[in-house]
Amino acid sequence: MTMLIVVIVIAVIVVGIPILIYNSLVGKKNQVLNVFGSIDALLKKRYDLIPNLVSTVKTYMKHERGTLTDITELRAKAVSGKLSDDERVDLDNKISGMLGGIMVAVENYPDLKANQNFLQLQAAMNEIEEQISAARRAYNAAVTDYNNALEMFPSNIVASMMRYERKRLFEISEKERENVNVGELFKSE
Amino acid sequence: MKTLEELRQFYDTTLINKLTVLEAQRKAVVKKVSIVAVVILAVIAVVLIVMRGAIAQSAMFALFPVVFGLVILGVITHLMARGYVGQFKDVVIYGIVKFIDETLSYSKHGYIGESVFRACEIFKRQPDRYKGDDLVAGKLGATEIEFSEIHAEYKTTTTDSKGRRKTHWHTIFKGLFFISDFNKDFACEVVVLPDTAERFLGRLGQMFQSWNIGRGELIKLEDPEFEKLFAVYSDDQIQARYILSTSLMKRIVDFKKRTGRQIFLSFIRSRIYVAVSYNKSLFEPRLLRTLIDFAPIQGYFEDLQVAIGIADDLNLNTRIWSKQ
Repeated sequence: MTMLIVVIVIAVIVVGIPILIYNSLVGKKNQVLNVFGSIDALLKKRYDLIPNLVSTVKTYMKHERGTLTDITELRAKAVSGKLSDDERVDLDNKISGMLGGIMVAVENYPDLKANQNFLQLQAAMNEIEEQISAARRAYNAAVTDYNNALEMFPSNIVASMMRYERKRLFEISEKERENVNVGELFKSE
Repeated sequence: MKTLEELRQFYDTTLINKLTVLEAQRKAVVKKVSIVAVVILAVIAVVLIVMRGAIAQSAMFALFPVVFGLVILGVITHLMARGYVGQFKDVVIYGIVKFIDETLSYSKHGYIGESVFRACEIFKRQPDRYKGDDLVAGKLGATEIEFSEIHAEYKTTTTDSKGRRKTHWHTIFKGLFFISDFNKDFACEVVVLPDTAERFLGRLGQMFQSWNIGRGELIKLEDPEFEKLFAVYSDDQIQARYILSTSLMKRIVDFKKRTGRQIFLSFIRSRIYVAVSYNKSLFEPRLLRTLIDFAPIQGYFEDLQVAIGIADDLNLNTRIWSKQ
């Protein structure tokens, strides 16, 4: 009788723990995918703002015509959807840089700064930027959680059996750090 | 933000005259209370002499008249000082509030409602007794603020071996409770609590936190200093980070360090709730201490500044997002 109980307990441990670990790994992987999806949705929201922004600032900004055309083209490319992940990240970085540039250039156009429509867009832009940065931080947290599980004992054994691989964190480039500063610039107003 | 220098000047020029009038009132109250105290002590002494036979058998009998006498003295002191306490608040606390910001309103009997406290999600235990006073409200820049002192308690009843029921009151929260409009719009709920488990248990503590029933998901944030001091729960991983931006986290850490108190925060329906825990009663006069002294005035000023400063400390007036 005792023998039987011992066997059952061991069987539960041997089968049960790997199941728990397996499920938690799947959960962590899906959390990463889920947050990545949200970043995508937010980026799309930002792309949607670009045509509005361009049409609002176009009449005021004389010297930035080239940048405005470029950003419209880049946006068209970004929403066409025929891009690899790396290309998309690259494109997104470019668009971020340009938007930052436009927002700084606004300082030279007092009329534009007083335009109600522009002010609303600017607030919407700031909001989206902040949300994107929040989503990236959430993504990094989810990836760290996932990578930890991949390296820590005993979940690393199950993970290697599932052929899970480490995921990369979002690294903030120098350029994007400057973007954050652009946001700071407008705080004084 | 007003400085100590400015307060000193305000004290020397405006407040001191009013304090002199109040001081006379305080002395009168102390005199009356002293007379009552002498009478009560005399009565206690007489009762003890009359009861000396019983007391010789058991010292316990001496306890009743002494305790009874002291309780009566306490009640009478409270009643006699009531008018003075009200006057004190009208002059001193009201004066300091107006000195900090002319547009703020002050009500000595008002306080943040119990329904607000229940809805803030910070404290899971619902109060059985709730009171408060010293409500300050107003608008600082674009931000509507409101705060008061509150004391929320729950009760437990125990029955001892002789079948006597006894009610015990336990404090849920005592201190400053602050509410204001938050500068970003959001739909989720975020609760920021002082961290106890993680500080002592590290990763294991984090695991326990993630099992915390009745709260949302544990949000692991990237600011190590903030993580060490607080545990954050929310139903939305991304929105929670949208609210708790890296700069806000830093500001909360600074606020916590500067006040050196336990701090609880929650963010619900575009509003922020901040509870700052205190052991003492706030904004009350000390009957047996002279009023003509800068130190206690500085104390009241600093306690008020903790709450009024929250809007500045957490940068709630920055309105660069859609919400204006």
